[in-house]
Parts: sequence; structure tokens; C-alpha cells
Amino acid sequence: MNHQYYLWMSYGMTAIAIAVEIATLALRRARALRAIEAERDLEAQD
Amino acid sequence: MNWFYFASPSTFYRLAGWVAPWAFAAAAILAAAGLYMGLVVAPTDAQQGEVYRVIFIHVPAAWMSMFLYLVMACYAALSLTFNTRLGAMMARALAPTGAMFTFVALWTGAFWGRPTWGTYWAWDARMVSELVLLFLYFGFMALANAFEDPRRGDRAASLLALIGVVNLPIIYFSVQWWNTLHQGSTVKFTGTSMHVTMLWGMLLMAFACWMYAMGATLVRARAIILERERRTRWARAL
Repeated sequence: MNHQYYLWMSYGMTAIAIAVEIATLALRRARALRAIEAERDLEAQD
Repeated sequence: MNWFYFASPSTFYRLAGWVAPWAFAAAAILAAAGLYMGLVVAPTDAQQGEVYRVIFIHVPAAWMSMFLYLVMACYAALSLTFNTRLGAMMARALAPTGAMFTFVALWTGAFWGRPTWGTYWAWDARMVSELVLLFLYFGFMALANAFEDPRRGDRAASLLALIGVVNLPIIYFSVQWWNTLHQGSTVKFTGTSMHVTMLWGMLLMAFACWMYAMGATLVRARAIILERERRTRWARAL
């Protein structure tokens, strides 16, 4: 196997790992904001 | 400066929201410069050829894996000593990014090891201690989320983080203490034998990783603050 394969596997996986982390960060923030929205709705109902 | 002012989750939430985009922007600029330096400007290695360019991601990732664990342990210690809410939240926020960098260090190390050593993995002291670091991060995250009461999870995980600090000198000095397949440190406080463009490429990438870690941790810390403080007036007013 030539050296390009090892370089692509290294840099490619790093890019994937960073992309996955950024996606999970965005999802977590969206979920936290939805939970606050739900709290606000509960308060409005009371 | 009154540091306790910044320890308030509501104040820190706003501060982190301001700092995080700048950290990501700095990470992008530094990574672009580091990759240009490392992949275009730096010369081909006389012995390893082009494959040595894995160094520009492997070494910064390995440095960050250890550094982030140390910072996480400091926050854990703050949380245990002063019972600060923010300390525990920051420790939790650091763990996934630290685990990601540890995984990247192990992965890129494997893909560097295959063409240079002839194997993806060896039960070498440096590699095994780095793998233990990954398990410590996983253990921290699992323990922190294993309790219904998050404050109990904070305390248990913080204790584990402090115990795990013993692994950091083992990782760092493993190449000196044992006869390992992994090479010794190329960059030391006393100097380096690397070509100057290789060194600059690596340092720029290390700073890029540092800025990225700061941005990711702050964004995650903001989400954790929102999760924990969702019933407070300031959070509902957002």
C-alpha cells in the first residue's frame, strides 16, 4: 500500500471525528433549548 | 479581578458564548496555516518519505489528549474542594473532546506505525498507557452519567479523574522508563532536531487543536449549563 493511503486514513478519520463532535454539540444544544422551551410552556400553563 | 463572578453559571454562559466563536475562528485559521506548512512547505523526510506527515495531526492530538485530561482533573479538584457547580460542568464538558483527541492520537499512530514499524499496534508502554487514557475518559463519562442525581455523578467522576492523573507521567515518561517501540520525544524544552518548517507546521497544528478544544468545550459547557439550569429564571428568559 502506498503512503497516500495511510495519510488519507489519518487525516480523513480526524476530519470525521471533528465533524461528529460538532454535530453532537449542535444536537445537544438544540435538545437543551427544547427542554427550556418545555419548561416555559409548563410555566405558562400554570 | 473577582473570579467568583465568572464562576456563576449565568455569567459564564454569556462569556463562553462570546469566546467560543473566536476560538473556532482561530482554530480554522491556525489549522489552515498549519496544514499548508505541514503538507505543502515542509520537505519530505529523508527516511520515512511522505508518510511522516501524519506527525502534523498525531503529535498535536497526543499532546491535547494529555493536556485536556490535566485540565479536566484540575476542574474536578476545584469541584471537589470548593463544591463549585461550574468546575464539575467544565470537567464534564472537557471529557468528550479529550476522548476524541485520544482516539485520534491512537488511530493516526496506528496508521503511521504500519508503514514504519510494520504493525498497526504493539503492546508497547506508550501505546498501552495512551489506550488507558482513552478508557479513563470513557470511565469518567460513564460514571458521571451513572447517577440520577448529577451532583453525585460529578463527585464520583471527579474522584476518578484525580486518580487517573497518575497515568499522565506514565504516558510522558514511558519512552524513557521502558525500552519501547515508540520513539522518544523529538520536541523537548531544550530544543529539537526537526527541520524548522516541520516544527512550525506541528506547532501551528497544536495551537489549532488547542483553540478547537477550547471552542468545543465552551459550547458543550453552555449546553450542560442549560440542561442543569433550565428551571432557573435567567435560563427561561433566554
